[in-house]
Amino acid sequence: MAAGQERVGRARKRGGPNQHRLFWAALAAPGIIWLAVLFIVPFYAILAISGGQLNIFGNPLAQWNPLRWTGTNFTSAWHDVVGASAFVGPILLRTLWYVAAASLISLVIAYPAAYFVARFSGRRKALFLILLIAPFWISYMMRMLAWIDLLQTNGYVNKVLSSLHLIGQPVDWLGGLPVTVILGLVYGYIPYLILVLFAGLDRIDPALIEAGRDLGLGRVRTFVRVTLPMSRQPILTGMLITVLPMLGDYFTNQLLSGTTGTTMFGNVIDDQLTSGGGVLQGQGAVFSLLFLLVLTAPMIYYVVATNRSSRAAT
Amino acid sequence: MHPHEGWTEDRRGELISRRGFLKQSAVAGLAVGGASSLLAACSSGGSAKAPTASSSSGGIPLPRPNSPVTWPLYADNAAIASNLTPETGATLKLFNWVAYINPQCLTDFGKKYKCKVEVTTFENMDDALAKLTSGQHLGFDVFFPTIDVMDQLVYGKIIQPLNHSYIPNISQAWTDFTNPFYDGKWQYTVPYTIYTTGIAWRKDHVNENPYAMANPWAMPWQAKYKDKVAILDDARESISLGLMKNGIFNLNTTDPAQITAAGQQLQDLARLTNVHIDNNDYTEIPSGQIWIHHAWSGDIATAASYMPKGVNVDVVGYWFPPDGRGPVGNDTMTVLRGSPNPVLAHLFLNYMLDVNNVLTNISYNGYMQPINGITQQRLVAEQLLPPSLTSTVVLPSYFRRGVLELQIPTATNALWEQAWLQAKSA
Repeated sequence: MAAGQERVGRARKRGGPNQHRLFWAALAAPGIIWLAVLFIVPFYAILAISGGQLNIFGNPLAQWNPLRWTGTNFTSAWHDVVGASAFVGPILLRTLWYVAAASLISLVIAYPAAYFVARFSGRRKALFLILLIAPFWISYMMRMLAWIDLLQTNGYVNKVLSSLHLIGQPVDWLGGLPVTVILGLVYGYIPYLILVLFAGLDRIDPALIEAGRDLGLGRVRTFVRVTLPMSRQPILTGMLITVLPMLGDYFTNQLLSGTTGTTMFGNVIDDQLTSGGGVLQGQGAVFSLLFLLVLTAPMIYYVVATNRSSRAAT
Repeated sequence: MHPHEGWTEDRRGELISRRGFLKQSAVAGLAVGGASSLLAACSSGGSAKAPTASSSSGGIPLPRPNSPVTWPLYADNAAIASNLTPETGATLKLFNWVAYINPQCLTDFGKKYKCKVEVTTFENMDDALAKLTSGQHLGFDVFFPTIDVMDQLVYGKIIQPLNHSYIPNISQAWTDFTNPFYDGKWQYTVPYTIYTTGIAWRKDHVNENPYAMANPWAMPWQAKYKDKVAILDDARESISLGLMKNGIFNLNTTDPAQITAAGQQLQDLARLTNVHIDNNDYTEIPSGQIWIHHAWSGDIATAASYMPKGVNVDVVGYWFPPDGRGPVGNDTMTVLRGSPNPVLAHLFLNYMLDVNNVLTNISYNGYMQPINGITQQRLVAEQLLPPSLTSTVVLPSYFRRGVLELQIPTATNALWEQAWLQAKSA
């Protein structure tokens, strides 16, 4: 009690609770400014474009006053989804299919890699970590462009597959094959997943795994009963970090396919935002907002799940 | 000289041709930030003579060959005086498309006028106009706009009227360009590149000869060439292809039924051939990756530079209607209103209209300029064009017989873009 009073007394001597609050607010200020400038303002700009109209030159005009927002762009976007002129439905399904496949493949590849580095890399852990981070040193665009050369009909991929007698004729990988786009997504986003999984798996206390073994579980059952349940949170985080950008990705498909048969939802938004004179930018803005709302659902689930596991841990 | 020598842009730039960049915006626009100032300028007075043309829904004149526009002049945006001395020790700044001018021309101009020349690039006209109307002092001198944004450039007072006394080479332009419908009396622009849009194909893979076909515009619609067909990634060009396949040659149509039917044709094409949509005609046809490509003449004119070893350029064909009844277009050069070096800028325009400099420029980007002396014979003799690709040559008569994709009313543009969006998503 006396010690508590002493601490309060010292706090008063340093300036009291108001100054404390100011101090913490000041610490939070850069983050708040960052959020305001790079998220809230752009977000409101998208809203303003969605609710705005075209000017006399046919260019989108942001309507900053919400009382003057119109529903024109929302109606147009609705007609793209539902009704006689709707065309977005199959593209949404295709996007979900591509992302689901890419996520699953990513997880199958990333988990063992992360597990190995976390558990068995020993003194070479730093080296493996550097290797995991290495892809981030090269921009996503450059990495994708490299694949264009490799996947040409006379490129190294076909040459290797031919030399192994796995294909009879060169495959036109860049000719609009869904598998190319899916593998492109895997390649592009898998480093994020491996890193997150590594961070999670590395924190698992080896003593818990050893305890499982001591209690008579075999390697597989120890993994299934101990390691895997403790990996749930890293898997969830990693999937969230990779799935969300995959859903909005347009560049991978643009570079590795370029045909109508593999159009993803991100391509639709991109086409609207880059339409001549920006005449469809309003619709693109509406779709961006809707997309954001849809993606909020897994984000909320993630937050809830994280809180739940934190409570369970304590 | 290699047509693409000097390309220093990133790899993505290599994937998109100069015309590709150029045509990404069929009807250019303004960024949100710049729109209000431009609108204010549009509504504010000037000593303007009233434009004489049909108008869009917003009252903005739409230049047409049969309805030319002479843009207004403003007291607060006058042309520079005659007989001024060129600026010394200056850096002339160009605002241009990526890889759209031969660096050699810039070096030579710099030596001649003892100045430096810098190029800042943009990817499409929307981005360019957004930058120019952002309110920043960018210090650019020369700008290379498309003809469909003249209204925004003039009403927004972004470009300045030209003093023709500095541009005597303007007399070397083809007659069809001496008083162009999009800029009567050449008050604000001089012509830059010209081009046609046609069909490129690989003669060694495709059995059909478009010159013998009843409707060559339908050439891409062949299921047997699945995965080997491509159209241009450009709303106006590709919807126009659908229109022409349907026998409609008004490429500025406002008829929703015609636009929808053209878009439907492209959707059918997608289902039939899994069509590629890109502007890589200049590499994909020479490499054989694509066998039939909706293409721009200037891109195919450079095919020889992209042929694989051992493959003769003669296997590449380019079809454009021999009677000239197909899509033709041109771009322009202008001097920006805030140009720090307006005299040098005028002299640069003049320099780029000189026939020898034009040839140097063609050797780089493949696109012709409408200047006397730039003929099929000259291009072949100078080895700038293989004899088998003389069909890529743009003739003066094309601008009388050809069909032009021009600025269209806002509501119509939305229909075109929506039809294109649906075709791309088929």
